[in-house]
Amino acid sequence: MSESDNWFMQELEARGVSRREFVGFCSAMAAVLALPRTAAETIAAEVQVAEKPVLVWLEFQDCAGNSESFLRASRPTAADIVLDTLSVDYHETIMAAAGHQAEEALAATVKERPGGYIAVVEGSIPTGENGAYCTIGGRSALQIAREVCGNAAATVAIGTCATFGGLPAAAPNPTGALGVADAVPGVKNLINLSACPANVENLTALVVYYLTFKRWPPLDAWRRPLFAYGKSIHDNCERRAHFDAGQYVEAWGDEAHRTGYCLFKKGCKGPVTFQNCPNVRWNEGTNWPIGCGHPCIGCAEPDFWDKMTPFYAHLQGVPGFGVASSVDKVGFWATVGVGAAFAAHGFMSLGRRWWYSEHHPAARERAEEAQRRADDEQKGGQP
Amino acid sequence: MSTTAITHEPVTQPPLAVCRPGELVRVYVWQWPVRLTHWCTAYAILFLAMTGFYMGNPFITVSGSAGQHFVMGWAKTLHFYAAIVFALSVITRVLWMFMGNRYSTWDKFIPVARKRQTGLWNSLRYYLFQLRQPPGFVGHNPLAGFTYLFVFLIFFVMIATGLALYSVSAPVGSPFRVFSFLLPLAGGAQSARWIHHVGMWMILAFAVHHVYSAVLMSQVEARGTVESMASGYKFVPCEDLVYSGYRFLDRRDVER
Ligand code: SF4
Ligand code: SF4
Repeated sequence: MSESDNWFMQELEARGVSRREFVGFCSAMAAVLALPRTAAETIAAEVQVAEKPVLVWLEFQDCAGNSESFLRASRPTAADIVLDTLSVDYHETIMAAAGHQAEEALAATVKERPGGYIAVVEGSIPTGENGAYCTIGGRSALQIAREVCGNAAATVAIGTCATFGGLPAAAPNPTGALGVADAVPGVKNLINLSACPANVENLTALVVYYLTFKRWPPLDAWRRPLFAYGKSIHDNCERRAHFDAGQYVEAWGDEAHRTGYCLFKKGCKGPVTFQNCPNVRWNEGTNWPIGCGHPCIGCAEPDFWDKMTPFYAHLQGVPGFGVASSVDKVGFWATVGVGAAFAAHGFMSLGRRWWYSEHHPAARERAEEAQRRADDEQKGGQP
Repeated sequence: MSTTAITHEPVTQPPLAVCRPGELVRVYVWQWPVRLTHWCTAYAILFLAMTGFYMGNPFITVSGSAGQHFVMGWAKTLHFYAAIVFALSVITRVLWMFMGNRYSTWDKFIPVARKRQTGLWNSLRYYLFQLRQPPGFVGHNPLAGFTYLFVFLIFFVMIATGLALYSVSAPVGSPFRVFSFLLPLAGGAQSARWIHHVGMWMILAFAVHHVYSAVLMSQVEARGTVESMASGYKFVPCEDLVYSGYRFLDRRDVER
């Protein structure tokens, strides 16, 4: 195939993206995927000739933040074109069709290409009241997800809501919201791209990986691709040296904050959050939360609204002791309480011992008996 | 008087062959592995709590260039080494439950025997001032043993959550990375952190109770409870040996 009749290269040209920029993009993708640099060539070669995968994008209980991430309003880049290689058959926010027409398009894809399309799910799936909290075209999100994800070649749950339930699933979870893995168990090739929103760089890298290798990347215990979720924020953080040294921001805007010290004491969840934010960053690599002086709030982790809050404290409080309780306070007073209780017990025991030794006839007899024996022994007598 | 009495029958009478009523008998209770693991565990906990508390709440901070300091780094390093001592010590003690003498076996912690069960109830009554005399058990009394069962459970939880948290930052290729399988079981790293932290306070609260009880019971019962953790010997009134719940008495257990 010559270059000129390659639609991909024509597309690049038409959008004013240089070949050089494309090669640069491929190396960047190799880096995100933690592949050796030489993989860039393979990526470039494969992406150009790959067949357009068909994709349907389902939105349930969501804010469309991941769609925003997907559609980034910026100048066209090589990455956009890769994302454009996806033929998006159904996406409520951006599709032209509406109403029954739209639903027909979705039904047609599912029917005509069972096992031949990728389902992307954004938003959580409510399971309460038989799924009545979210219905589209008269069908519940649960029914739609079962059918569409059940027949897909792969399902990508994008964003923390679709992966772990996210905000709608935060306690008390009034709609019984669940992520895809829990709402539709047993979905084939489920890949979770958690974070709020998921970073489009990781979605792009996932697509590139699939186009290049025709399979899905290795996943962690929560089915998240290891290339993006294999390391903690903390282990790649640019402020890590300050953490190890013992240099922390104590108050917003203090000297330490202005110098760029570690945000650990401001409740940074970087040590318990897995994502590649420090490397890939956000908004085309402009910056990332910790880079701008805000602690990581752990958006990529399960139950993040319930477990990572309060965002500016190291740990959650103790249930039943109020929101402002801290484990340290409760633990300290519990320890003091145990000490006091046992001290009291000890003194009571001493008191009892004294009382018995003074007043109990049996004790007195025993003491006298012992005394007698001791005397006998001294006299050399037998007991 | 002969001291060669080796009774292989259930003991129903004071072992008058070896001692007389009212007399204190020196009994070898805690073998050296029990004592060694006890103190290794105790000092490891001291170090772990101090460094761990700092790691959760770094109260010492430094100024100047980051490259010149390593305060948190040292706290973590010490914590990890103390954790190795702690884990090995706990594991050794658990293995010893199946190898050691009659006072150290697993059934002193899990009261399966009828005798231990009634003893547990009577110990509780003694501690609640319902009984005048503690039921005579030479080793752990059943209540204490049962309490230690929960302490061991907390220890295991601490080891598991500690390994899970360590796996987060273990170097690539380190064998400790395999423990990342524990993270989902703990409900994620942040929950593991919380459990680990609460566990520390539970152990500290237990330690306070433990030291108080040991010192005070040493006073009250006058059996050398505290000293026994160094020497291994306890002083037991002759008649208590009868009720001690140990069927056999032989010379290795009873020394004059
Ligand atoms: S700012 Fe957060 S992620 Fe960075 S070193 Fe400090 S605690 Fe770790
Ligand atoms: S730094 Fe933390 S909270 Fe911010 S986007 Fe990354 S994972 Fe989410």
